[in-house]
Formats: sequence, C-alpha cells, structure tokens
Amino acid sequence: MRRIIQLVVLLLLLCPGYGFAQTSKVSGKITSSAADNEVLIGVSVVVSGTTQGTTSDADGNYSLTVPTDATLVFSYVGFVTQTVALKGRSSINVVMAVDSKEIGEVVVTALGIKKDERKIGYAVTRVDGGALSVARESNVASSLQGRVAGLNVAGTSGGPGSSVRLNIRGVTSFSGTASPLIVINGVPIDNTVRGSAGEWGGADLGDGISNINPDDVESMTVLKGSTASALYGARAANGVIQITTKSGSRTRTTIEYNTNLQLSRAVDNTDFQNVYGQGSQNLRPTDQASAIISGNTAWGERMDGTPTIGIDGQLHPYSPVKGNINNFYRTAPAWTNTLAISGGGEKGTYRLSLSNLDNQSILRNSGLTRRTVNFNTSYDLTKKLSFNLTASYTDQEDKNRANLSDAPLNANNILFLAPNIDQATLAPGYNPSNNGLETAWNVDSYTTNPWFVVNQNVNNVGRKRLISTLSGRYVFTDYLSLQGRFGYDYSSDRQFSVTPYGTLYSTAGEGALNALTLGSRLELNSDALLSFNKNLNQDFSISASVGGNYRHNKFESSRLYGGQFIVPYLYAPSNLRTRNSEYLYTELITPSLYYTADFTYKFLTLSTTGRYDRFSTLPDGNRSIFTPSVSGSFIFSDLLQDQLPALSYGKLRASFAKTSGEANQPYLTGFYYNIGNPINGVPRANTSSTLPNANLRPYNLQEYEVGTELKFFNNRIGVDFAYFHRQTNSEIVSAPLTIASGYDGTTVNLGGTLNRGIELGLTVVPIKRGAFTWTSTFNLTKLHNEVLSIDGAADNPLQTGTYRPLNGFIDVVKGRAIAQVMAYDYQRNAAGQIVVDANGIPVRGDLKPMGSAIANLYGGWNNDFNFKNFSLSFLIDYKFNNKILSATEYYSYTRGLNKATLEGRDTGVLVPNSVTQIAAPTTADPNATTYVANTVVVPAYTYYPQLATNISALSVLDGSFIKFRQLTFGYTFNQSVLSHTPFQDITLSLVGRNLFTIMKHTHNIDPENTISPLVAYAGVEGGSLPFTRTYGVTLNVKFK
Amino acid sequence: MRKTVIYAALTAVLFSTSCGEKYLDEINTNPNAATATNLNPNYLLTDGQLTFANTGYGELLYESTAIQALASTFNYYGNGDKYVNTSGSTGYQGVLFSQGYTALSRLQQAIDIATAQQASAAAGTPNATQYVNTIAISNIMKIMIFQRITDTYGDIPFSQALQATQGVTTPQYDKQQDIYPAMLTQLQTAINSLSATGATASGDLLYGGNVTQWKKLGYSIMVRVAMRMTKVNPTLAQTWTEKAAAAGTLASIADDALVRGDASYGDTQNATTNALLTTDDFREVKWSKTLIDYLRTTGDPRLGAVAEVPKNGAANNANQSLPGNNDPAVQLGLPNGYDLTGGAYDIRKRADYPGGTGSTDSLAVLGKYSRPRLQVYIQRTAPNFLLTYAGTELLLAEAASRGWSVGATAATHYANGLRGAMQSLAQMSTAATISAADIDTYVAAHPLDTAAPLKQINEQYWLETSTTFNFIEAWFNWRRSGYPALVPVNYPGNVTGGTIPRRLPYPATEISNNPAGYAAGVADLNGGDKLTSRVWWDK
Repeated sequence: MRRIIQLVVLLLLLCPGYGFAQTSKVSGKITSSAADNEVLIGVSVVVSGTTQGTTSDADGNYSLTVPTDATLVFSYVGFVTQTVALKGRSSINVVMAVDSKEIGEVVVTALGIKKDERKIGYAVTRVDGGALSVARESNVASSLQGRVAGLNVAGTSGGPGSSVRLNIRGVTSFSGTASPLIVINGVPIDNTVRGSAGEWGGADLGDGISNINPDDVESMTVLKGSTASALYGARAANGVIQITTKSGSRTRTTIEYNTNLQLSRAVDNTDFQNVYGQGSQNLRPTDQASAIISGNTAWGERMDGTPTIGIDGQLHPYSPVKGNINNFYRTAPAWTNTLAISGGGEKGTYRLSLSNLDNQSILRNSGLTRRTVNFNTSYDLTKKLSFNLTASYTDQEDKNRANLSDAPLNANNILFLAPNIDQATLAPGYNPSNNGLETAWNVDSYTTNPWFVVNQNVNNVGRKRLISTLSGRYVFTDYLSLQGRFGYDYSSDRQFSVTPYGTLYSTAGEGALNALTLGSRLELNSDALLSFNKNLNQDFSISASVGGNYRHNKFESSRLYGGQFIVPYLYAPSNLRTRNSEYLYTELITPSLYYTADFTYKFLTLSTTGRYDRFSTLPDGNRSIFTPSVSGSFIFSDLLQDQLPALSYGKLRASFAKTSGEANQPYLTGFYYNIGNPINGVPRANTSSTLPNANLRPYNLQEYEVGTELKFFNNRIGVDFAYFHRQTNSEIVSAPLTIASGYDGTTVNLGGTLNRGIELGLTVVPIKRGAFTWTSTFNLTKLHNEVLSIDGAADNPLQTGTYRPLNGFIDVVKGRAIAQVMAYDYQRNAAGQIVVDANGIPVRGDLKPMGSAIANLYGGWNNDFNFKNFSLSFLIDYKFNNKILSATEYYSYTRGLNKATLEGRDTGVLVPNSVTQIAAPTTADPNATTYVANTVVVPAYTYYPQLATNISALSVLDGSFIKFRQLTFGYTFNQSVLSHTPFQDITLSLVGRNLFTIMKHTHNIDPENTISPLVAYAGVEGGSLPFTRTYGVTLNVKFK
Repeated sequence: MRKTVIYAALTAVLFSTSCGEKYLDEINTNPNAATATNLNPNYLLTDGQLTFANTGYGELLYESTAIQALASTFNYYGNGDKYVNTSGSTGYQGVLFSQGYTALSRLQQAIDIATAQQASAAAGTPNATQYVNTIAISNIMKIMIFQRITDTYGDIPFSQALQATQGVTTPQYDKQQDIYPAMLTQLQTAINSLSATGATASGDLLYGGNVTQWKKLGYSIMVRVAMRMTKVNPTLAQTWTEKAAAAGTLASIADDALVRGDASYGDTQNATTNALLTTDDFREVKWSKTLIDYLRTTGDPRLGAVAEVPKNGAANNANQSLPGNNDPAVQLGLPNGYDLTGGAYDIRKRADYPGGTGSTDSLAVLGKYSRPRLQVYIQRTAPNFLLTYAGTELLLAEAASRGWSVGATAATHYANGLRGAMQSLAQMSTAATISAADIDTYVAAHPLDTAAPLKQINEQYWLETSTTFNFIEAWFNWRRSGYPALVPVNYPGNVTGGTIPRRLPYPATEISNNPAGYAAGVADLNGGDKLTSRVWWDK
C-alpha cells in the first residue's frame, strides 16, 4: 500500500503545471445570505471572460491568483450570481443571496452540455455516485435497479461482471439489448455484449459498462426521452446514460482510501419434492450403472432411509439430503481497494485513482479481478485555452466464466441432483486413474458433472481497455467558445476456452480447444462544438451550439480452435489433432452534424435541436437522415409565488423529437462468400446464411413527452411526473426465414412498436427535525408496449429466442408487447375438457402468447435516514407483469423433482375430467370430432415428462416480485473526533444486498434469474447461477 | 491562436473528404470475403455435397435404430431405438430438413453464380461455358437432396424453394405426389445438360467431375425416385425405371457415389464416426440383434467383416484404438428397446443376457455384444455412401421381378446387387474386404427365389444400406417395401403407440417461419405432424 502511495506522489511530481502563477493573489470567504450564514462549499469563482477559476473549499474559502484588473464571477446553484471587480483588492468576502427562482441544479445534457435544470424540457434523472459505490455491484449498471423512474434493469445470472439489460421507457427494438448509449464525460463508449448464452448454451462474457469502476463515478445521469438524447442520434434511440467521473478540486489536495469487502451466498430457491428418491420407472437403483443413469431423476421409490447404491458405487441412506446448493456453491468474497489522490492549483485540477477488485464467484474456481487506473486532469494553458484529459485504463481478467443454459460444461445442473444424493459424491468429477475421464452422474453425458466443471473447466476472458477523452476549449469572448473533443475507447480482448481433456461427450474424451481468441474493438469519436451563450438583457438569453461528430468503430478478432488434444491437459493450439482458425473484421463510420439552441425568456425556455447523420452501414441513397427535436420548459411557479406560497417550484415541460437508427452491423447489404476448410484438397465456400438486403434504410423513432416537476413546502415534497409516447417505424430487424427459402434469416426494415406510459418520481422529507432527516423517494413506471406491425402484410410472429427444451419461444407478436412468451396450452374440447391421446397424455393445443417477458410496471422505494453522523437507508424495488420461460420448471417435471409430480406416483395418473378424441375432423366433415371419457391411467414417470413436453404453458411462470434490495448503515467519524489524527474523516458503512424477497410467484427459482441480456432471450431461465445474497462492509478514509 | 484556427480548418477538411458516398461504400464492403464476381462456384458445389453427405447424428438417432441395424441402451438413441422423445429429439427431428436445404442453398448459389459469370463472359469464348458441368452436376445433386427431404417429411417446399433472392421467403409446400413427377423431368433435363466436352467441374467430390459417371449416377437416382412410387403410381414408376435402365445406370462399385471424410478438420471428418467416438456412444451403440441374427442365419460372410466383440473389460471397451474380436462365431447383436436403468426393460433382465466382461472394477455390461468394427466404420476418413451400384441393381431386380423391362433378369440384377454389396465393404475400408471366392460361393448358393422375390431383394437392400451406414436410405426402403418384417418394441412412454416411426416431424421453426406452408403440409398428412403419419408413397 505504502509503495502505491509513493508511486502516486512520484507521478504527481512529474506532472507539471499545477504550480501557482506569479500575479497578485486574491482570497476570501463565501457565505450564504440565509439566516444561519453558513459557509458555501464549491462555489465557482471564475475570472470573467476566461475559464480560469477555482471553487470554494470546505470552509468556504477560496484563493486565486489573478490579474489585478480582473473581474470575478461567483456562481452557485440556487444563488444569485455575483460579479465583483477586483479593483486592486486582495481580499473579497462574498455573501451570496438565495435565488428563489434558481433552485434547479445543473444537469449534464447530451454532448456534455451543462444546463440549468430549469431550462430543460424533458425528463432526466441523476444518480449520485455514492449510491453506486455503496451498492457495489460488479457491473455498476446493476446498482441502478429501482432508482430511476423509467429505467428497467435486468442482470444476467452468470456470476461477477455479467451483462445487464437496461431498458428506458420500454423496449423499442426487437434486436440486441435495446440498451441506452453509454457516455463517459461526454463521449460515447462501446457497450457491446461480448458474448451471451442461448438455448444451446454459452457463457455471458460481459458488456462494456461492466468495466467501469464505481469508485470513479461522480454521478450518472439518465437522459430518458428522445429529445434528451436526440443530439446523439441513432445510438441514443434507447436513451442515454451519462457517466461523469470524479475530478479534482483547485483548492485542496485530498487523499482518499476506500476499501470494501463483500461476501455473497447462493440462495436456494428450490422447493422440490422430498418424498421420492432417485431411480427410474418407480424403482430405486440396483447397481452403480443404474444409479448413474438416474442421478438427476427422482422417479424412484419412496425414500425410506435404506442403504442404497449410489452413483459412486457406495451405499448411502435412501433419504433426503439437505443443503446441496449451499454446499456446492461457496461463500464468495469480493474485495475492492481504491486509492485516490486529487487536487489542483490555479491552473488546473487532477485526480488519479488506483483500484483493485478481486471478486470471486459463488461458483468455485470462477471469478474476476479488475485493476483500474483512472486519471482526470484539466489545465488552463492560457486564460482562454483550456484542456481536459480523462483516461481510464482497465485490466480485467475473468476466470472461468460460467456456462449457462444448455447442459454441456454447465456446473449449475447441480440443481437437478436427485433428492437423496449428496453433491459431494460427485466430486472430484473425474477419474485420475482413467485418463482423467469425467465421472458420469446422469444418463446424458452432455449434462456434465458439475464437479468436473468446477475442477477442470477453463473459460477465461481477459480485457485490457483504455477509455479516454481529450478535449480543448477556447473561449473567444464571454459568450462564444469552441470545443474540440476526441474520445478514444480501445479494448483488447482475449478468450481462452477449452472443452477439458476427459470431457465425456468430447470425441474420444480428448477435449477440444473452443477458442483462443484475440480481438480488439475501437470506438473513436471526434467532435467539435461552437457555443454561443448570451444574456441579451435581464430577461432574455440565448444559448446555442453547432457542431459535428465523426464516429469510427472497428472490430477485429482472430480465433484458433480445434479438436482433440494429443498430449493430455496440454491446452496449446499446436497440441490438437485438428486445427481451425477464424478471422472476423467489421468497420463502420458515421459522420454527423448537429445544432442545439435554447431561447429563454424569464420563466420560459424553448429549445430545438437537429441532427444529420450519414450511416456507412446503409446503402448509397438510403443512408442519410435529418432528425429534429423541440422542447419547452415553463416555470409556472414564478407566476404563482404570491398565490401559492406552498409551491416552492413548479415546472411544466413538453417535447417532441425524432431520432433515427442504423443497422448495428456492417456488410448487410451485399452478397459475400466465405472460404471454408478444404476437403481432400478441394476448396469449399459457403455463404452467410443471412440474406443481404440492398434496400435497408434508417429506421426512425418519434416521441412526445409532457411532464411536470413540483416542489412544495420548501422542497419537503417533490413530484416529477412524465407521460411519454414513443413510436418506432421501419425498425431494422434480423428476421428468421425458413431455410427452405435458401437463407435462414435476413435483415429487414420491419414493423413498428409503440411505448407509452407514465413515470412518477416522488420525494418526500417526512421528518427534518434538528439533526434528524428522513428522506423517502419513490418511483414508478407503467408502460404500454405494443408491436404495431411486423411486416405490414401477413404479420406472422417473429421467433427471436427460445429455451433449451425448445417447446416454448420468445416471439415478436403483432398487437402484443415485445418479448412475448409463446407456449403450448392444453387442447380442450368444446366443453372445456382436456383432450388426451390414446396413451392418456394431454394433447398439445395451440401455441399461444402468454405475456411479455419484460415487466410493464416497475420501480423502487428508497428511504434515507440521517442523524448526526449516522445514516441508514433501505431500498425496496419491484417489477410486475413479466413472464418467465423456465427450463428449470420444465426439467423439474421431466425429472420428477417438482412437487406437482407427487400426484399419482403410486397409483398412476388419470387426467381428471379428460377425454379422448375418437374421430378426427376431415376436409369433408370438419366437425367430425367425437370424444369419449378418458380411462387410461399412466405411470407418473411416463406421464409428467410427456406432459411438460406437450404442455409448455406449465413452464411459463409469473416473474413479478417485490424485493428488499438493499440495506445500508453508515457512520462517519468527523473532525471533532479525528482532530489529532491524519484523517479528515472516516466513514464506515455496512451493506446488505438482496436480503429477502417480499413477494414472488415462482416456487423453484428466483424471478430475476435469466441467461441472457438480449431482448430476444428476455425471460429465458434455466441453467444459470443461483441468485445471491450479499453482505458487505466499506471503509472510506479521507486524509488531511 | 493562429495554430488553433489552422487545426480547426484542417479538421473541417478531413471531415468533409471522409464523408463521401464512395468512401462510405468502401467502408461497408467486407474485406474478408469473396463476392459473386470473384468466387469459383465449384467451391459452393463442394460444400453442398459435403453438407448433404455428412449426416452424423442426423442418420444415427432415428434411422439407424428404427430399422434395427443398430441398437443402443443409451438414452440419447431412445428416439429410434424405443420411439420415445429424448431431450434432443425436437432438434434432431429437424436436422435432415435444415441440412438438406442448406446443401440445396449452396448448390443453388453455385448455379446462380456460375450462370451469371458465364453470362458476363463474351459469347463464344471458353468462359461463356466454363461451368456447364458444374451447373449440371449441381442440378442432379439437387434432385437427390430434394428426394431425401420429401421422403423424410412428406410435402415440402419444392417449386418455390430457394428463391429468397427473388423475394419468396415463405415458399409454398408442394404435395409429394406433385414433387415426384417434377423431380423426374428435372432430373432428365439436368442429365441432358451434362457436356462430355465441357470444362470439368473441379469441385465435384463424387467423381472429380467425370461426366460419364455422373450420367450413370443421374439415371441411378432416376431409378431410386421412380421405384419409390411402386405402391402409389406403378405406371409412372415403370416408365421412368425402364427409361433409366435403358440409358445406363451405375455399372460397378467403382461408380459408387460416396464422399470420403478428411481427417484434417473437424467439419470435414466423417460426422458419424465422430458421433460414435463419443464416450457413451462408443460404449453403448451396438449392432442390432435383428441384423446380426440375419447375417448369422444366412451364413453371410459380411458378419465377420462388419462386426466385432470388444476385448474384455470396461477399459478395453472404452479404448478407441483397440480392435475387438471379429470371429463370426462370437458375434452377438443387442436387442432394440432395452436400457440399463435396473427396471423391467433392463437388458440384464433378459433371459438371453450373456453377462458382462471384465472384473467388478472394470465391468463392461455390454461387453459381449457386437459393435461396428473400429477399423471399418469408426474412422474419420470413412466415406459417406450416397448411392451405390449394389442398391441400384437390387432396385432393378425388383423392377424386373415386377415384369418391367430393365435389361437383365431379376435373378441377374439380384446377383449383381448381392455381389456389389459385399464388394463395396472394401470401399468402406480394406479391412472389410471379402475375398472374391467367398463372395462367389455365397452368391452362387443364394440365388433369387423367384417365388417370393420382393422379400429377398429388399432384405438384401436393407443389409446393403445398413452395412454401408446409409441408414436413411435403409429406412426409406423399409417404409416402402415393408421388408424386412421388423418387430417393433413397446417401451414405456413411447410416443408412437409401439410402432416404428414412419416419418419425422417438421422442424418446429417452420411453424413460425412459414406458417401457411407448414399448415398446408400438415393438413396433407393423415394423422398430423407426427412420427406415425405416412407420406404419400408410403401406403
């Protein structure tokens, strides 16, 4: 630790330019005009007509070296700005007057333009970085859950660093994650999901935002409406999340150390039957071979405790085993250490932080380490020219990303262990004396032994990433400035994934190299912005900018893979019997021009923006589009001050915007042929199975929004309400085709979707007495999401995803919400009786829409209690009306684990009130259906597997929940206690995440379990890591 | 200040030059792939042939065990062995559909590119006809593939298939009775378009572009297509079979249509071999008792060529490079419909269970049952047989026995078929070579019984296709001819009412991707989209 501090100090010494200038020095104290005359911290003090300046420190003091003829401008949100000429003085104390009109805060809007909240005609929500670093999710986006009206957060259950699906105001897009654009310090970064699981398995390899260190985040601002994000164009069609990283202060040097330790435990959500043990056809195993066959099936006998042969060949009591999930998964520690030094001088500021995260997964032998260096500096080269540099370097190593969904090399199948088997009997999962061959534990060798996975699997992902922005700003006059900005986001990825030597299903048990992939992704954004800001008179002001952006995105990767390792366990590409390689490359550019203009008259602001994009991914002639927006803000409380004294602030806002979007992949408009591996010396070629479309055009999105912000009783009650209406047209979609057409998919401009709804945010301070404050915030989003058309003609449903049992699907269905869960219901006759076949098994009825996998009612309720140095807060969040397509539920039926399968175990199942069809409709007589009462009694072990296969509606669950998401408790030792120590203050906080579920409807899974962040797979559950409960402690130390 | 302005101006200039239409088009051109103007269409033909031939699990999971050529206690094979739905069944039911149309798609692209490149060449130059045989061969291949798809599923997209580039993305399902005559006329056209003087189709994996052999193969496909209609349209069957026989079919095993695996790459290796090398498959996939008993009762010399009993003990059983004992005397087939669950259908509860091999620690429960010989079948370079001289001769034997004019007598064609079937095992592997003397002796001793020819011919067809691991064709012909008379198993939870599957359900994706077509296809089936429904020619 000490060495790191030494290193940091050394680095800072090498950074020139933070020294003090030579001209005369002015200093003073800034206080508030309010009754208690408290000092004001963070007041901006700027030399008029320049960017040169400082902010007041914790004691309200400022100090600045300026030309003797300078004029200082003191500004602070909520106070009247003062302009004071120096006139040779060296000490100026200022009393700032509270501005009854100026109670809004400064909001960072699109392109990093800061605006007074009063002037904004659309909804934005700011989340303080403190909330994120306390919640401490390995993917910082998960911490936003329940905190922002309109924002729906859905994480993937793949262990630390997994991807998150973020949807603002519903899902507008059929494809991808429909995630908002992530912008750091004004420049977009790449948020590509690097890999996710589908019905055939795979691992979640994280997304772009998962590399961000929460300790470096000053704040996140969620720009919800299209108007808010219109200046970002296409990529912001789903909204924008802007991240501002921490920066230094001009007046003081701070050294801050933060350490956080968290422990996560798996939560066993299963409620399986505990009456019948492993076995087949109502019999328990009789030898090791039959024990192995039934390792994950509980179709045996009633458990009676009799010693019975197990999968390890030993005798075990034939009785229920408790705690398999908690014993198989471990308590996983996550430890973060962050050291930050910040400060500055008159010419600039700096902040440097070093952070290390070691985050183990509850799955043994899996986890991630992340090292981050974050540097942020601003520097005034001259009075008129300033520069700002932010750079964040992340080195992340993910060890053994967990395989999800389908069974191969997926350790999470431990869930399906028959009730009488102790998970420990599966260990170590392989036989060292038999070439390390995997020990079978069930009938299907593609369902890998979970202990084999834990002990042998290798699926490592590494990422080195530099996210940096360099911007320069030149101030021509106090109302005209030019800014140039260059954003560079480069990541270099490495994946190393094997099917281990000894894997049962691998050819000859010799394993395979799945991927040794080296790849890089570059996102470059260069932009320029000329800004004009002028108060024409006391009541009228104009703020306008014009600029342009040039986006360049490039991806390149090469992969080595192959089958069968020659020398055991030597996982080298040269050690393969067959070798293959693959090379991928994509590149796209988007040049854009845009403007923004705000006209403010007293309490009224009118804004307009426009953007012109040219997309390289679209064909010549179709690739350009202009999209405008207008918005207005009306501070009506300014007119009602006398009539309604209780109303401290009232704003009405309205906006309309168009945005557009492009294809997210290049090369979709032309035919291409790939050269494959030759066979016996003859070359081969194949095509992408996606049919090109030479007529693609940009899609567009229109949104209008009205809203209000109200504050009452000196801000004790705050209301923020919005109604929005958003419609997408001609969306660019990958549509599946029947392979009989020659291609199995294509990219088309299809369909339209509608999202309308309300967002409500309520902030109440019920108690503010003396040192005690209770702040309660509540937010709610209610959506109506509907697919208006698919292809405008036949409007056949589009199947986007499915789960491994393959009898239920995630579809896009006209007239219904996106991510519609489709499943087969019972077939019933006119009298409503269940129709069974000749074998007594219910017949599959129609494939029906069962509801959307994405919640349409969600939000959270947060409460903060502060008393002197104590703070306590808790967060409850909720989602309603989302369906889950649950593979766990399906397998719990087919394997006899579900409690529902207890019915008829001994007697067999006769479906009550069911009928058999004895005559079928024919073309001649379509009504020729005759039914007779069903009398076939089916053994439970054949009934339930076929039932769950035919009637997939049984696997569709209600995913609604209310959860007690987070409880934190903090105590700050302040200066009175620490006066004789080197510490400024010390804060100790305790946090508990996912402590308990207040309401859910699923019996065997957590409703938030999911395998993929993609909209196409929303709601697909099964074969993922169990949900975890986390306890943590954070210590934050600021040095003097 | 001045510098700033210069930089700003420079940025502006850069911005404008790199936004031009042409530049954006260049950026949107994939630098990593060939285009229709520079690709040799033969490469697509090659890929289409391999995709079609290399079926792997697509022939193992239903067909191989349904016709009781193979048998397995392993759950994965329960689909065909026990007629139950296993976890993978939905996916595997669609394999022949997706593999078939993927192969067809390649061939269609080969034809389209070849046609376009020829058209863009100056008329009269060699380039204007450089792909004439590539196109002809692709068209012949297409018929072979369409037949396999329709025989598997019934009605399928045919007349409107492969036309996505022309905007047909939901092709209609044509009735099988309409597809069959169309296949025959299209096949004739394709054969006629072969050019003995034209450039060689370099991408052909079957004959290296030999036009004479392709002509023979074309007419042999014609025999197969025609003969499938013996029950539903014997007149048409006769017309085309006679026409094909007159034109000349495959003349010896040297003409056999097969695609040899290449061990170099995962996707060029024999996929059936790779499937059988999976640990569980290797342990539990055996020759069926039905097939082994048949070979033994008739004293067929193929028994020792195709089957072996693994060496004693589990470790030896699992050793994938240790050949077993192929002495015909010890060969024993595994009955279909059994498992190892310890229940009523556990193979060990059968009275004739021979016991395992090896000690308790290394017990091979199925150790005494015969498996396909390692050196013959479980080789990555093993060929996939598509159509053989022997099979064609047997079909012609049946045609002759029906009194049709196909060149020689039924007995001659039958003897040719039997002889060819035994000879062709040497093409599988020289390790399976049966001596000419043994063949002669057997063929002489087993002439066609002209009183009951159909049984004998089609049982031999079943043996021929099974021992060349062409299980899909074996299944088709069993469904058509009813021979051999297989006794179905009746395992608990089977989904066919204890009958052998007679078709495969359409892939589930068709329901949403081509709903109208799918509905039409299902409506034409008596009994719905099930394993038990029968296609048009299967009466």
